[in-house]
Amino acid sequence: MLGTGRLWCVLLLVFGGVLTGPAKAQTVPAGERCYLDGWSSALHCYRVPVDAAGRGDASGSVPGGLAVMVAPAVSDSGRDPLYLLAGGPGQAASELAPLLNAFRKVNRERAIVMVDRRGAGRSGAFRCGFERQMPSDLQQFSRRLADCYLQRADFAESLSSRQTVEDLERVRRYLGHDRIALWGGSWGTRTALLYQQWHPQSLSALVLDAVAPIDSKVFLAAGAAEQALQELARDCADDPECARFGDWKGDLNRLLDGWSDAQARAFPDPLTGVPAAEPVPRWMLANAVRAALYEPAAAAQLPYAIHQASRGNYLPLSGLTGLFINTADSMAMGLTFSVACAEALNRISADEVARDSADTFLGTAFYDLFHSGCRAWPVTAKPYSEPEPRDHPVLLISGAADPITPPVYAERQLGYLSNRQHLIVAGGGHINSRRGCIPDLIARFLNRPAEPLDKTCVADIARPPFMVDAFGPALGVKTGTKAGKQEMARD
Amino acid sequence: MIEVESIDKSFAGQRVLRELSFEIPDGRITALLGANGAGKTTCLRIVTGLLRADAGRVLLGGRDVAADPLLARRQLGVVGDREGLYERLTVKEYLTLFARMQGLAGAALRDSLQAVRDELELGELWERRTRGFSQGERMKVSLARALVHRPQHLILDEPTRGLDVLAARLLRRTLLRLRAEGTTILFSSHVMSEVAELSDRVLVMAGGRIVGSGSPTELVEQTGSDNLEDSFVALAYGGGATRDANREEAPA
Amino acid sequence: MMAIGKFSARRMAALLHKEMLETWRDRRALWMAVCFSLLFPVMIAGSTTFFVKKHAEETTRLALLGAERAPLLERRLQSDTLQVDALEQGEPRALLAGDYDLVLQVGDDFASDYRNFRTPQLYLYVDSSATAAGRAERHLQERLGSLQQLVAGQRLVARGVAPQLLAPWKLQVRDVSTPSGRGAMLLAMVPGLLILTLFVASLATSVDTSAGERERLSLETLLLQPLPGWQVIAAKTLSVASMGWLGALLAITAMVALMPAMPLAELGIQQATTTAGVITMGLVLLPLALLVAVVQILLALRSQSFKDAQTQLSILQLAPVTLLMALDMSRVQLADPLWQLVPLVGQQQWLKALLVGDEVSLPLVLAGSAASLSLVVLAVLFGARALRRESLLGAL
Repeated sequence: MLGTGRLWCVLLLVFGGVLTGPAKAQTVPAGERCYLDGWSSALHCYRVPVDAAGRGDASGSVPGGLAVMVAPAVSDSGRDPLYLLAGGPGQAASELAPLLNAFRKVNRERAIVMVDRRGAGRSGAFRCGFERQMPSDLQQFSRRLADCYLQRADFAESLSSRQTVEDLERVRRYLGHDRIALWGGSWGTRTALLYQQWHPQSLSALVLDAVAPIDSKVFLAAGAAEQALQELARDCADDPECARFGDWKGDLNRLLDGWSDAQARAFPDPLTGVPAAEPVPRWMLANAVRAALYEPAAAAQLPYAIHQASRGNYLPLSGLTGLFINTADSMAMGLTFSVACAEALNRISADEVARDSADTFLGTAFYDLFHSGCRAWPVTAKPYSEPEPRDHPVLLISGAADPITPPVYAERQLGYLSNRQHLIVAGGGHINSRRGCIPDLIARFLNRPAEPLDKTCVADIARPPFMVDAFGPALGVKTGTKAGKQEMARD
Repeated sequence: MIEVESIDKSFAGQRVLRELSFEIPDGRITALLGANGAGKTTCLRIVTGLLRADAGRVLLGGRDVAADPLLARRQLGVVGDREGLYERLTVKEYLTLFARMQGLAGAALRDSLQAVRDELELGELWERRTRGFSQGERMKVSLARALVHRPQHLILDEPTRGLDVLAARLLRRTLLRLRAEGTTILFSSHVMSEVAELSDRVLVMAGGRIVGSGSPTELVEQTGSDNLEDSFVALAYGGGATRDANREEAPA
Repeated sequence: MMAIGKFSARRMAALLHKEMLETWRDRRALWMAVCFSLLFPVMIAGSTTFFVKKHAEETTRLALLGAERAPLLERRLQSDTLQVDALEQGEPRALLAGDYDLVLQVGDDFASDYRNFRTPQLYLYVDSSATAAGRAERHLQERLGSLQQLVAGQRLVARGVAPQLLAPWKLQVRDVSTPSGRGAMLLAMVPGLLILTLFVASLATSVDTSAGERERLSLETLLLQPLPGWQVIAAKTLSVASMGWLGALLAITAMVALMPAMPLAELGIQQATTTAGVITMGLVLLPLALLVAVVQILLALRSQSFKDAQTQLSILQLAPVTLLMALDMSRVQLADPLWQLVPLVGQQQWLKALLVGDEVSLPLVLAGSAASLSLVVLAVLFGARALRRESLLGAL
């Protein structure tokens, strides 16, 4: 029987529920609504106050605090958030926002956090005035760098991986996150690996794309770039249309060796079509080729462009350099040199440089830029200690044709990680997290880090079609003897 | 004591009751005799306060029903149409709830329930839901509901219709006992035999007014008939009123 | 005075008890309420799941005729959502009538025209009357578009032009919706359905307790009890509302319980309904449940018969849905606080907000609920007068 007395009891319970319901304490501070280019949804932005690691020294402080941007989980199920660590050093995590499109699946249940490290992006970018274009003259470059250093020497000295890791830890506590997963790309993998060394208890899993192990010397890039070019040459030779370019690799070496001032001045500007205002010296040309190897779509145009250049037509090569115009200004050079000089360049000996650059198209063209820059940037060395064994689940991702962090780095220098898996993308360049099934594999790894991933789908990721003539790719020719399915579009 | 003082009632312009007046004394059983459509039900509904008279008034124990209908209903037990039981309630629930609506509670409630249960032999039906009850069982439950709060006035509308012998006997026995206790009893009927057998006094209704009254014997004598039926016919249809008048009196 | 009040309350309690027993023992009405209450959450959850699954798994099948003339085209078009079958020959109409959503024909001179920059034609056969046609075409356009971009990019590079020259600007989209707000579209119909549930769940009971009771001739007995008319209407309203409210609560609970099972995250929707929100939803529906109940009872009491009452109330239950739809279509700015004082509209707005985890203004909810409740009081008093109507007692 449903008596009236009981009815009142029900109502009382219901009202009681209402009164106690919303009285839940909010521990996580509410961020401000904000947006980043490349991601259309709103983010929560925070400013986390930092001083110079509590030393009472204001040199390293960032006015307004550290910029932290959070893409909240669509449906928060309490999974560990994923922090994105940007490369460079000198790139800002906020520049990684387009990556969120690939990480939609991860973002469904996990917040994705981007922290602009001190001196990068929105945390007081330390640019030294190199926003638009680098001077083509190395000495001029060093002079401007030296001026910049002298203006903010204390700040330059304060910037380090250690500081970044401690700042990340501070942000983690600020946001009330218990344990976090890290995605690191390029130099960001170094930061992530150091975080793992120094705060293992705060970490649940690591995803490292284009791995720069703690011991690796990534600024010795000539050998890796040469390797990537050879990979490209091998794939090109397998393609009947591309094979027609013959020894374009040899052409490149001959072109670089014989590069004259006249050629440097005549090199056309890809934006205006007329000869560039600044000449393009040999070191810059070699670096342009190296840069094209980062991106398989650009690399696919190298054989044709070099083939043409060796016959006096520099237009394709110039057009290729145009692909990177927009990416140049994302680096905060002051930060780049502060970290690179203190933590990387100082570890490299002349012998090693000679060994690395021998018989490569790049030679010391890349190293020289940093070597001369670091002489203008006299920060003290900040060495790391030997890495200790760690058993966090780690997913490593490498591109087989990556000109800066080749797969051997992840293969050979991470023996101290007992729980790692490695995905190698055939023909892949630098950073592969957005390609093919990799985003899905990352999501799966984060959800079940203990299970080994089924890597077969990685083989489906293929190089984009080679440019074979002025009309572009050869649509009408059966190509790719070994390439299986083409890379599939996601989303 | 029920006093009906010159009440008028029309439905949709048709006059159903015309200056109707009568008195029902305490401790007596009074029958309201009339053909179908003579206005019996309308008359009883005005007496119980369900309907309001256009003119005139009804006094129950000296109080105007229309002025304080709630008080009147506490002194009134009505056995209306027996179809009006709640089929999803058991007899016990039904009687308990109606007794509580009449204001009974506690020991008084328990005693009253016990009394009607015994008196109307409801023991076997007590825990059953009323769905599927026979006419006799329904009458017993209705009567129990009307009596549970011990009303001074009891009004029954055609109480014997469809009853079997045993139920009719129980009804008669109960009414006689109530009369002995001084209850004012008014029932309507068009069955001569039961009127003759049960009532102390008969009111004959026709055309919305009382056309004759007295004990059954008196009525027979008055009209010079052989039996009550003949005298009823003489009173209801003989006194100038035509049969057509009945139809005219039927309310919409 | 005290004694009378106390007695009156006790009588009312007995009456209410009777009405509740009657209501809750009406199996048919109870089943109807429970079934409808569970029906729509299950339907929404089911259709959402089905939609997402279909959307995620559905691939477009493309027949490529003359693929041998452009093998790379075949490989570049192939994707998760676009399955490309290269066919030697075939008749486009027959292929479209068969398994294929699209037929793409590569012209005879495609390869040479392409090499000579003569803009070769591709012929797309599509059956625009097919339901999948639009989606299929979009899949193909996406793939063709990216291939076109690749070719155009390479052609520009080949001529020394930075491909970015083709993009004089980049449009950055900034979506101001919240992940929970995106659910509002999917959940927009839920408040209306909850309100409809109130109507449907209390329909059978309200007819039974009014027209039904009159037809079964028990109403007369009830009216002969020493209880004022407003108490009779109020008791009936409460018992009918209890059924409607139960239905709505059941529907809310089912809805919220099913939400985690719905692939909301895959749609980019955040499930934001909180426990407090669910309880508040139940509470804001209570005044409306009472109003619906009393209106239904009054209407049923007015009608000629049980059947007539059922018909009238069935039509009445279309009213809220129609009203809310009309308001929606007329794009009335419902954010105006005055609208929230209007029964139905107010409740709909609050439910909508609570479902997506938005705040509702407590003073407005209280004011709106008070408005609904005062209508209930008015209706009860009106009903008490209606009880004295002679026609109520039916044919004599």
